[in-house]
Amino acid sequence: MNGTRTPPETAAPDGDRADDGATTDAAMATDDGDAAASELVGRDLEIGYPGTDEPIVECERVVIPAGEVTALVGPNGSGKSTLLKALAGQLEPWGGAVALDDESVYAMAEKERARRVGLLSQERQEPGSLTVEKLVQHGRYPYRGFLDGVNDADQRAVDRAIELAGVSDLRDRPLTDLSGGQKQLAWVAMSLAQETDVLLLDEPTTFLDLRHQLNVLETVRTLNADRGVTVGVVLHDIAQAARYADNLIAMQDGELYDWGPPADVVTEGLLADVFGVDATVRGGLDGPEIVPRRPLE
Amino acid sequence: MATETREVFGREVGWLDRSLALTCAVALAVTVLAGLVQVRFGAYDMTFWQVVGAVFDPLVWLRPNVLASFVLGDGLASTLGFDTSFDLPTETLIVWNVRLPRVLVGALVGMNLALSGAVFQAVTRNELASPFILGVSSGAGFAVLLTLVVFANFAALLPLTAALGGTVAFLVVYAIAWQGGTSPVRLVLAGVIVGTVLNSMQTALFFFASDLGTVQAAIAWTTGSLTGVDWEQVRMILPPTLLVLPAAVLGARYLNVLLLGESTASALGMRVERARFLLSAVAILAAAASVAVAGIVGFVGLIVPHMVRTVVGSDYRRLMVGCAFVGPALLVVADLGARLAFQFTTGAPIQLPVGIVTGLVGGPYFLYLMRRRNELGDL
Repeated sequence: MNGTRTPPETAAPDGDRADDGATTDAAMATDDGDAAASELVGRDLEIGYPGTDEPIVECERVVIPAGEVTALVGPNGSGKSTLLKALAGQLEPWGGAVALDDESVYAMAEKERARRVGLLSQERQEPGSLTVEKLVQHGRYPYRGFLDGVNDADQRAVDRAIELAGVSDLRDRPLTDLSGGQKQLAWVAMSLAQETDVLLLDEPTTFLDLRHQLNVLETVRTLNADRGVTVGVVLHDIAQAARYADNLIAMQDGELYDWGPPADVVTEGLLADVFGVDATVRGGLDGPEIVPRRPLE
Repeated sequence: MATETREVFGREVGWLDRSLALTCAVALAVTVLAGLVQVRFGAYDMTFWQVVGAVFDPLVWLRPNVLASFVLGDGLASTLGFDTSFDLPTETLIVWNVRLPRVLVGALVGMNLALSGAVFQAVTRNELASPFILGVSSGAGFAVLLTLVVFANFAALLPLTAALGGTVAFLVVYAIAWQGGTSPVRLVLAGVIVGTVLNSMQTALFFFASDLGTVQAAIAWTTGSLTGVDWEQVRMILPPTLLVLPAAVLGARYLNVLLLGESTASALGMRVERARFLLSAVAILAAAASVAVAGIVGFVGLIVPHMVRTVVGSDYRRLMVGCAFVGPALLVVADLGARLAFQFTTGAPIQLPVGIVTGLVGGPYFLYLMRRRNELGDL
């Protein structure tokens, strides 16, 4: 049992991560012209909002490793969404830097950044009687110039995204007609149409029924497996995170509590310290299985 | 894929569909018809067909120098080398000199207010937003009263001061709402704050008005009126309109993305603050231009986008085109009512300010919308 706090920089990535996580390998892969996976790294971050006095999140080093699925977990208010926003280039940290393959995310032009890092935010608005296809087309915004229409490449990307998200049968339906789960998949499709190297999703499964939760997670997994897209995702359900993610980042009170593969991170100590839950953790077929018992005082 | 696309000059125009085309055609027909009826009545009696003949008189339309003298004014037209002395039949002269400008100004004011309202409803993400929500009307009203009461010597500059007052109020609202960025809610709240203060000051100024004439002039301005407008007003509002119309139509795509929410728009690579400010500036220009020629005509900018939305949907590209046609129709019809309602019912030659008619028509229509569309309450 590993209940001690492990600083993230010393939480050594285990064997299989070392060979594809190194930036040199990623850079070499870029030269092949193939869809090379990108790595997102935050250093010495101090993240806060204009209205706050103290930073909400502070961490020395956080990595969303190239070509893998990383889940951010933690209780409400632990700073997961804030960290994700900062990594996505949407909330400039007070201190520190965020780099995408060694290039500062905040130094990029807005559209350039939007072609490389996608963020599906939780704070979004219902755009009225738009059809699913029209919504997904908005994902092509960063590729379109001032007067450009939707060209063939855009349309192909839209078709691919709609297919990957499994919303082909909904494409001509207005959003107002859809259920919460269907809407969520439509929004995921919009982010997919952005065709970024890194895709960050803020609680994409919250408020969905189990089937749609699995739909979203399968879509994300397929995207990662087929196109090598680096994924960072905030998940509420730690059991689900343990099953779907290659890495977990566990957060508590605006700091990283632990970082690594689910088998190392998900422990009874973590559940007690971070989530305040007495639980049993067993080794299952797809990684650790959690049986929550009761809340701790 | 069974997606329907149409192309004009190689560009996809699938969004120009039948409901929009029909809306525009009907609105245009209504505008023209109401305009002709408006032109028919006055001190000099004409039949309807005399009016049609005069409005579409080839002696005007086929002679560039005649057209230029009316639209540009004698001074500018002769500078540009047009011959400004010509003879026209009496009917044509009366229609073109005296009656047509009112219809044209009405149509342009309606277009500007509708476009302005549509932009503000997206920028503030508030379905109750109107061109006057961000302090423009109270700013303009205050400037008008200040000019009439305190700086009476500058009364000739009234259109300019009104537009200026509206713009300054908008900038103050933006400054108040700014806190490392703005948000729709903060913008609306700042608009309410500035509006309240300016309205109080406006009311206070009434006490210093020296005579009834000043008060009446001020009221005409603050309710919006097209009485006595001339080609000079056409020339005043036409240049901003030529800027606002293309800007609004081009801006529609940005408004569509903005409607997805700020976070999404920003994640898609849009500079949200810049887009919001520039779009607001276009809307302010439109509102200020219409205030300068007609005063504060309420409800048009609020109602027209709603009317168009119920027919063509919420895609702003369609909405903008629809507003550019329906806005003029509504205002020209309302002005027809404002001018002729009393004349027909009582025979007395009294004209109402058009702003009163738009308010009387707009209020109940909005109530009807509210009843019919339940989701309107979920702002």
